[in-house]
Amino acid sequence: MLKRYNLIWERRAILDTLVRRDLRVRYARSWLGYLWTIIDPLAMALIYFVVFALIFKRPDAGHHPYFLFLVIGLLVWQWFNASINETARALLAEAKLVRSTNLPRELWVIRVVLAKGIEFLLSMPVLIVIALVYVITGDTHLNWKLVLFPLAVVLQAFLQFGIGLLLAPTTVLADDTIRVVRIVLRMLFYATPIIYSLDLVKGWAAHLFWLNPLSGIMEMYRAGFFHDPVAKGPIVTSIVISIGFFIWGAYTFARMERAVLKEI
Amino acid sequence: MSAQPATDASNIVIDVQGVGIEFYRSRRRKLSLREMVLRRESTSPTETFWALDDISFTVSRGEAVGLVGSNGGGKSTLLKTVAGVLIPDTGSVQVRGGVAPLIELTGGFLGELTARENVYLTAGLHGLSKEQVDDRFEEIVNFAGPQVQRGLDMPFRHFSSGMQVRLGFAVITTLDEPIILVDEVLAVGDKDFREKCYERMESLLENGRTLFLVSHSEGDLRRFCTRGLYLQSGKLVGDGPIEDVIEAYNETPAS
Repeated sequence: MLKRYNLIWERRAILDTLVRRDLRVRYARSWLGYLWTIIDPLAMALIYFVVFALIFKRPDAGHHPYFLFLVIGLLVWQWFNASINETARALLAEAKLVRSTNLPRELWVIRVVLAKGIEFLLSMPVLIVIALVYVITGDTHLNWKLVLFPLAVVLQAFLQFGIGLLLAPTTVLADDTIRVVRIVLRMLFYATPIIYSLDLVKGWAAHLFWLNPLSGIMEMYRAGFFHDPVAKGPIVTSIVISIGFFIWGAYTFARMERAVLKEI
Repeated sequence: MSAQPATDASNIVIDVQGVGIEFYRSRRRKLSLREMVLRRESTSPTETFWALDDISFTVSRGEAVGLVGSNGGGKSTLLKTVAGVLIPDTGSVQVRGGVAPLIELTGGFLGELTARENVYLTAGLHGLSKEQVDDRFEEIVNFAGPQVQRGLDMPFRHFSSGMQVRLGFAVITTLDEPIILVDEVLAVGDKDFREKCYERMESLLENGRTLFLVSHSEGDLRRFCTRGLYLQSGKLVGDGPIEDVIEAYNETPAS
């Protein structure tokens, strides 16, 4: 297993080529190009802000300021959602290349997560501007826990590698995986503290939320922007579960590779 | 003339030992999720067949080997196994040195991007650095022909399929890989371009590359290959000078 990942590391120049190719294709035909990666989550944040803060008058739905809270959650979710949707199709979408190049097949999954990750990082300037506005108006103060932010990025990437490595070969062998993935993602959106904060979940359900690795990852992302206490339990479980997913995914992928190559 | 150069162990570039590949027959190509979750025996019986069955041979540096056999004999499967895009169920395949696969020539190309970008990307996927592609760019484009040359900055999807294949062939054959695998791609392109491809392949062979060719054209096989492998229903039934193997193939009654 280590040998495989060593080989992938040696081929990182190819990974770089693939990621660039993805980004170039994505923006080749669209006029606004990169702006779309920002417009989408901002529009969603605006909708939830209007619904919960203005119509329902529940400013306590998440941390204050709620709009900043939403933007962080939705940007993170966008990376997750796009990664899972596209890694599930990663091998099928590039079937011709998978059939004609002898590269470590994991590359097809990893490159999707990285390309989407770069789009996520490219949206950071917007987050910084919004955060600064709230800092200037005195609505929030940044704190040292911002160091958890880059750690959350790495953790999320590994979680997505893991899930992607599980899904990509499964989709090749069973077409309907894609549909299941779509439904699960939709449910997961509401089962993740994106539009509400984790501390609103009480009792036994709170512990159930610990099992969702995104709960802890969201806590890490938001820790530096808000004064609210950070829940340590979910962070610990999210680290364990994310790494667990990665190891599980890596082994499953290797085991299914032979069958996948015959089917693709 | 001997078709088998010295089989000195250090010269062996392709070493195939006891390779078998098993495929499913008589069932839908894909499982439904239900079949994966609920055990398999509930659905159609899983009848399998061996597309390759206990194949063993070695190829030395600089040899030109042609694969002969009827449809479904396992030629393409064998080529893919050597290319490393199929993993054998039994036995082992060892290939020393890189492989330039002329399989699915346009697989790496994206319709959205220009031909120029596609050349860089595809060559990059096969391990060339940007500087190396810079050096070879002229050569690649010249080989692909004037039509391609004029459309370099046009989206690739506007190219005709013939032009796409030309560019694909041009890119893959400029790779430095010591082993070249060819799967029936010579049948494409117009007559002039085909002749150009032949010349390119001959010059590659003269440079000491190893060639592994799948073709139904006896002319192609005779022209390029010195040695033939005859595959019949997944079994290796002949291995010798190309003339003998073609003869054996022609004498076998169609089944």
